[in-house]
Amino acid sequence: MISIPKKGTPERQRLIDEYKKCMDSMKGVAGNSTLVCPTPGDVTDVTGGIHEDFLLNRVLIRMRAQPVKGKLIVICTKVEKEWRIGRLSGIRGVPPVFVADQVYDDEQMIQFDIFLMRLDEMEERDGYPEHYSEGWKRRDDNWAVT
Amino acid sequence: MTAMKLTGYADKFSVHPGDKIKFYVNCNGPKDYTAQIVHMINGDTNPRGPGVIEPPVKADVNKTYPGRRQIIHGGSYGYVPDSKFFHTDSFTLQMWIWPTIPKTDKRYWKHGAQGLITHWSGGKGYGLFINETGALELRIDGVTISNGLKLRDHAWHFIAASYDAATGKAVLYHEPQVVYALDPVIEPVEALVTGITHPAVPLAFGGYVAEEDGAPKKTAQTEHGYWITGHYNGKIDSPRLCKGALSRLEIEMMKAGSQPAMSERRHAGPTNALADAIVGAWDFSDGINTLEARDHGPYLLNGRFVNCPTRAMTGYNWAGHNFDWKHAAGEYGAVHLHDDDLDDARWEVDFEWTVPEDIKSRFYAAKLTTSDGDEDYIPFWVVPKLGAPTAKIAVMVPTISYMAYANEHVASNAGAAEVFIYRTPIMQHQNMYLSEHREYGGSIYDTHTDGSGLCLSSRLRPILSIRPKYDHFLAQAPWQYPADLHLICWLEQMGYDYDVFTDEDATYDGLARLSPYNVIITGSHPEHNSGPQLDALHNYTQRGGRLMYMGADGWYWVHSYHPAYEDKGRGVVTEMRRCESGIRTWRANPGEYYHQGTGELGGMWRYRGRYLHTVAGTGMSSEGFDISSYFSRTPESLDPRVSWAFEGITYDEKLGNFGLVGGGAAGLELDIVDTMLGSPPHVLTVASSAGRHTESYLLVMEDYGFSQQGIDGTQHPRVRADIAFHETPNGGGCFAFSSIAFCGALPWNNCDNNISRLVGNVLNRFMADGPLPAAPAEATMPRGRADWESPAIQLAG
Repeated sequence: MISIPKKGTPERQRLIDEYKKCMDSMKGVAGNSTLVCPTPGDVTDVTGGIHEDFLLNRVLIRMRAQPVKGKLIVICTKVEKEWRIGRLSGIRGVPPVFVADQVYDDEQMIQFDIFLMRLDEMEERDGYPEHYSEGWKRRDDNWAVT
Repeated sequence: MTAMKLTGYADKFSVHPGDKIKFYVNCNGPKDYTAQIVHMINGDTNPRGPGVIEPPVKADVNKTYPGRRQIIHGGSYGYVPDSKFFHTDSFTLQMWIWPTIPKTDKRYWKHGAQGLITHWSGGKGYGLFINETGALELRIDGVTISNGLKLRDHAWHFIAASYDAATGKAVLYHEPQVVYALDPVIEPVEALVTGITHPAVPLAFGGYVAEEDGAPKKTAQTEHGYWITGHYNGKIDSPRLCKGALSRLEIEMMKAGSQPAMSERRHAGPTNALADAIVGAWDFSDGINTLEARDHGPYLLNGRFVNCPTRAMTGYNWAGHNFDWKHAAGEYGAVHLHDDDLDDARWEVDFEWTVPEDIKSRFYAAKLTTSDGDEDYIPFWVVPKLGAPTAKIAVMVPTISYMAYANEHVASNAGAAEVFIYRTPIMQHQNMYLSEHREYGGSIYDTHTDGSGLCLSSRLRPILSIRPKYDHFLAQAPWQYPADLHLICWLEQMGYDYDVFTDEDATYDGLARLSPYNVIITGSHPEHNSGPQLDALHNYTQRGGRLMYMGADGWYWVHSYHPAYEDKGRGVVTEMRRCESGIRTWRANPGEYYHQGTGELGGMWRYRGRYLHTVAGTGMSSEGFDISSYFSRTPESLDPRVSWAFEGITYDEKLGNFGLVGGGAAGLELDIVDTMLGSPPHVLTVASSAGRHTESYLLVMEDYGFSQQGIDGTQHPRVRADIAFHETPNGGGCFAFSSIAFCGALPWNNCDNNISRLVGNVLNRFMADGPLPAAPAEATMPRGRADWESPAIQLAG
């Protein structure tokens, strides 16, 4: 599997810069992708991001495939106005909880902060044999399915 | 912040002028709330669009009402009214169970003991339970007997218990049907018990009476007067209750249950001697399409199921040879109970409106507000009486699809949601509320709280996803109901007059509902359909009707309305099974593909021989949920058969590179023309979005047979949307716009855009009286590949 670039490496900074560029350009779009709109807020043409940076593409898929328990989520607290980061419980009937006090006034840039949090939370070799647990036999193998 | 203080629902989706509609409201906290009937025109809060448009409607129910809390008692169970035969000094209980979550997390919403078969209340009576540690438990009054071994989940166990009042000996049997190499031999557990105090309460399957005092309470929410708690998750099969303590051999014989029906065998039991012992021998393979829990014992102690558990489930004896319960009912004696099943919230009525005779057929809602800023909407549709159309245009509101998505929890339940939407989901306050209030029930996209697939959905409950101002996590934009309001907004802004009817009306009224109209317009995502509805659509277009298919991924899943709810209205509960192919958020277990309500095979219509492409010309080919793209015209758009649709649009224009869903008209789920899958051979593909979609768009799995690379929007040529037109017999026609995001482009720039122009051209032509011009003779083509020779073959030749 693709490794998560370590803190302080140029690769990691490259991913962060590209991701931020994508989210900046997606402001105003009724949707979101990790791609760059050359005309901000207009998806007529899109470029860069996951289509051109292979490492960013694969790291994002690995982050997104994490199991539901403890997974970060966006919670809209005021329609079209405010969003906050939460964490899923993974237990039916137990709602997500907020993980930070920061309130975002944009639904795209909050995705960027989640990306940064995940970079810090995920180990470089997340999901390799050294992380084996009995859960791998019980469908808790770091690969979420519907 | 998860609190929604106002929630509500109505007794009808579809109401005729002059008829009554009842509203049920939960107002938890505020002392009162105000109701205002509104005409729903737009529900999208996106600042780039026209904003929410909801003009008030004069109505005598527009008042302030006292608030009161109304709660939902979810969870399915069966019950049999109390009988003197249950008050037996000695007894034997036996059944098969297939528990799904015998052990739950302490924070689980219904953590605690689960009742299996109980005649028990407030520490009195008897019953078999799963205790909170996950072990089987016999309770006789205050005494609990257990071997302490955790029950295996998703596995059949035969369980039994006997109690002899004369000796005081109680025995508990726990016999797993699957025995692995290292499993211990489980011996019966014995204990001495002094006696039973019988409460005058119902016998319950999959729960127990909550009232500690055993006294009934009068409420609209319990048909038998009791709250049931301790809901069990899993299957039960063939429960038996006998008087007297049977030996293990007699218990084994009693597995056969009551065996009447032969003149040579006139007793009620497996043997004449055991016949006298039977109190009840319930057979859930009898009455699978009902809510009845039928007793085949001598006293006919029939019961009922509440909150619609899943039936037509494989039993302990299913052997993998028969797959249709109608032909092998004896192998389908299992009922799967879930603690979050819900068929009817059963609230008290708060207000009732007699819909005026002169009101227009439109989208409406009861808007509820409090002075504290709380808000909820209860949508409904005023539909003309059958045979009394008021316009040439009708919008067919995809209410079965709305029910399929009702109260979905995918963003919070399914970790993989991010993998297919390519970003982190956004939960709205409705999603937050539902994540805590599982009693509101889930959608057919969800799994139950025990992880099993959810295949039944009721409209008699607050459905917080059928709301304006609601962005869905899949789109980060409106989806289904609020997305269809984009179309309504456009019709209103452009000044068209129209009627509306729902999937219910099409299903129950058939062609009679459709035939008065010159054109029928669909919603953006009519994915879930009944057979009678598809019949009506085919009959309509074959007889000269015109169909505008405004979205994509339509006509995909087999649905049926459960016949056991006809007394509560039309289309109360819809059923769907996710079988062996198609885009599935869960997959039905082997042998569980047939609907319990109608007995028909579930799954995709495609696998029932009804290809989706046959309905309107295009069918689902791919989906992706990040951003949308746009269409370009093809040379076929210049054909005089269809060029009228592009009047005012130049050939090279980007069609729909704007919109309120994904930023473009081609997005989310996409349909294509494929004459091998049912598109008619003379179909004209007039525009396509080929080659422009992102990596998140992936080919549908039913179109390939081997896991393979190269199926995403940056690589695969079938990841595209095709706008298509074809003529149908007798002057009819179909126009398919083939993208769920398409309608989101209509209101853009105050409806002044090329998608609006295209749709307007088509609608003006389709709504006109008289048949459409017939296609020229040279347009006739034989079917299929015979019409086409690949240039590659020509080169090779």
